[in-house]
Amino acid sequence: MAGDQKPPPRRGEPTSTAWTALGYLLAGMAVWGFAGWLVDRWLGTGGIAIGIGIVLGSAGGIFLVMKRFGA
Amino acid sequence: VIEQLSILAKDDLPFPPKVEDFFLPAIYPWGEANAPWVTKFTVLIWLAVAILIVLFLVAYRKPKLVPTRGQWLAESFYGFTRNNIGKDIIGPEGVRFAPYLTALFAFILLTNLFGIIPGIQISPMSHIAFPAFLALISYAIYNYQGIKRHGLLKYLKLQTMPPAPKVLYPLLVPIEFFSNLIIRPFTLALRLFANMFAGHIILLVFTLSGFALLASDNFFIKAMSPFAWVMAVVLTLFEVMVAALQAYVFVLLTAVYVQTSLAEDH
Repeated sequence: MAGDQKPPPRRGEPTSTAWTALGYLLAGMAVWGFAGWLVDRWLGTGGIAIGIGIVLGSAGGIFLVMKRFGA
Repeated sequence: VIEQLSILAKDDLPFPPKVEDFFLPAIYPWGEANAPWVTKFTVLIWLAVAILIVLFLVAYRKPKLVPTRGQWLAESFYGFTRNNIGKDIIGPEGVRFAPYLTALFAFILLTNLFGIIPGIQISPMSHIAFPAFLALISYAIYNYQGIKRHGLLKYLKLQTMPPAPKVLYPLLVPIEFFSNLIIRPFTLALRLFANMFAGHIILLVFTLSGFALLASDNFFIKAMSPFAWVMAVVLTLFEVMVAALQAYVFVLLTAVYVQTSLAEDH
C-alpha cells in the first residue's frame, strides 16, 4: 500500500521462515524431479533425467531461499 | 526369554497399535456397527464447537471493566492472536483477520488437547479429513484476499515471479508456482495431521506395552512395565506442548500466507 513502510515481519518470525524455506526446497525437488521423471519415461534414460531434474530443482529451491531470506 | 516373548505375542492385548485403532465404531443409536456418520470424532467436533461458542459468548455477554475469569481468558486469547499473530505478521490490516485466526487457533488447540484429556484421549485432528478441510478454508481465504486486492492476473504474477534475473525464470517460475499455490495447503494439513497421528500412536505404544510387559510370566520383564508407563506420562506432557505448538504453527502460517497474498512485492 502507498505510504506503508515495509515492516520486516518475516525476520521476526523464524518459525514461519523455516517452513517457507522448507516449502521452496521441497517444491523445487518435486517439480523438477517430476519433470525429469517425465523426460525419463519419454527418452528412456534409465533414471539419469530424474537425477538431473532433482539436482536442478534443489539448486533452484536453494537459490530462491537465498534470494528471499538471504542477507 | 524367546519363549517368554512368544507368550506375550499370543496374548490378546491390542499390541502393537495399528492404523485400525483410529477407526472407531459408530455410536449406537445412529447406525450399524461401522457406519461412519456419527462416531466419537463427530461428537468431539460438535463438542469443541459448542465449548468454544459458549466460552466466547458467555465471556462477552456482559463485558466488565474488571474482567471475570472467563472474560479474561477469552480476551487474552483473542488479544494474543490479534496482536502477536495478526498484527505482527499481516500488519495493521491483520485486525480484519483476527476473528478467523482466533477461531482457528482456539478450535485446533482444543481439538488437539482432546488427544490427552482423560476419557477422550484422541484428537479428531489425527484424521486427515479435519486438518485438510481447515487447510482448504485457509487456502480459499488467502487466495480470495489476494485476488480481490490485486486482480487475478496480477495476483498470479506476484505469486509466481521470482526475484531473479530473467534467464532463470524457466527454472524458478514452476518452483514458485508449485510452492506458493499448490504445496501450501498440503503441508499445512499434513503437518498437523502427522503430528497428532504420531502423538496418539506413541502414547498407545507406551501405554499398551506396559500391559504387554506386565502380562509376561518372567518377573524381570514384568518389572519393566512401570518404566513404559512413566514414559507414557512423560510423553503425555510432551503432547501438551505439541498440541499448542501445532495449533500455533497452523495459524501462524495461515497469517503468513495471507500476508504474502496481500503484499505488493511478495
